[in-house]
Amino acid sequence: MRCLLYVSCWLVCAACSSAYKKLQRTEAGTACVAAFKPSFTRALYNAQVNVTGKHLSGLLLIKTMPDSSVRVVFSSEAGFTFFDFEWNKHAFKVHYIFSQMDKKPVIRTLRKDFELVLMRHLDAPGAYTLKEDETYYRVFPNGKDFYYYITDSACANLLQMERGSRKKKVVEAVMLAGNDGMPDSIGIKHHNFSFDIGLKRLYDIER
Amino acid sequence: MREIVLTVILCTAVMAVKAQYPGYKLLADPSAFQTQFATASQKTNTIKSDFIQEKNLSLLAEKIVSKGKFWFRKENAIRMEYTQPFQYLMVINGSNVYIKDSQKENKISTKSNKLFQQINKIIIDCVNGRALQGNDFKVRIFEGSTAYLAELSPVDKNLKTFFSHVNMIIEKKDYAVSRIEMHEPSGDDTSLQFVNRQFNTPLADALFAIR
Repeated sequence: MRCLLYVSCWLVCAACSSAYKKLQRTEAGTACVAAFKPSFTRALYNAQVNVTGKHLSGLLLIKTMPDSSVRVVFSSEAGFTFFDFEWNKHAFKVHYIFSQMDKKPVIRTLRKDFELVLMRHLDAPGAYTLKEDETYYRVFPNGKDFYYYITDSACANLLQMERGSRKKKVVEAVMLAGNDGMPDSIGIKHHNFSFDIGLKRLYDIER
Repeated sequence: MREIVLTVILCTAVMAVKAQYPGYKLLADPSAFQTQFATASQKTNTIKSDFIQEKNLSLLAEKIVSKGKFWFRKENAIRMEYTQPFQYLMVINGSNVYIKDSQKENKISTKSNKLFQQINKIIIDCVNGRALQGNDFKVRIFEGSTAYLAELSPVDKNLKTFFSHVNMIIEKKDYAVSRIEMHEPSGDDTSLQFVNRQFNTPLADALFAIR
């Protein structure tokens, strides 16, 4: 019984332990991450969302506008708009959000998830690099959040993207590159609650 | 002076109505249309059709086009099968809804959700024509050269958050709905154009089965 208690305590502590504890500071630069920044001219994705046991699917459009702002619009297959977000040079704007989703924590979570994938914080002051063996974590602080872009030592491959605190991982994301500089698929998974987003590129029949 | 102001207001209103739907004019007395449409709807027991859906994102100058197949059987069974550029199936049978996307399938009873129930009813009512007769919408009928345009503005405040108005294009030749446009409060709209329509062909029960 006592043994079981020790094991349970150890498991709990292991779960709480810092995801970034073993990482060592290195002089390697962070500028190379910009090469992985996706250039979303216009991409349509089939979106699968699982949140706390509920499933939702739809279409997600990511488009760069003539003024360089980026719009992310999520709608149902039948056309009903769930949200329409904009990132411009200076600000984030909610153009529309379905009333039942119009809650600050929901908007904040979605905003940060897309900012991780869109790589909106690469010009953050105080960026630095951590490493563990041959894996490099290029870190971009933004307030209390830290955006981690994990690469190989040569910064030739982007392995994963993460957001968290200095110690704890909150969300991770992966991107599979497409042929035209826009990702073919994107996966986002939260660690603090059951929420994941899967995006698979669709190629429209006509426009 | 009052007459001049009134005349200007009336003229402006008339022009606004005319400008709203080019090629259509408002029917002051839509009763003859309503009778013809109700008669045609009564005679339609099944519809089999292809559809082209266009979602217009007004501010983005963007259009998302999808295609699929559509089946309707009186009184309240609909099957919509999206085939391009994604696979998605929605079956509505009475108060039950079945959805199958590329990852999961889901069965929903709209009885437990008033909003879902209302949306379900709108879809069915737009297809079978009852939307023009009920109290859910304020209806205005416009007449064009080959078709009528029925403008449905929701009365319920919940529905107003989904649609500012729904337009149905009804062909003069057979009083059948050839197009449904759903206009959202955001300014975006989604249209469903029905093509290759076949009326009153036998449709298998299996098309609308929700297991």
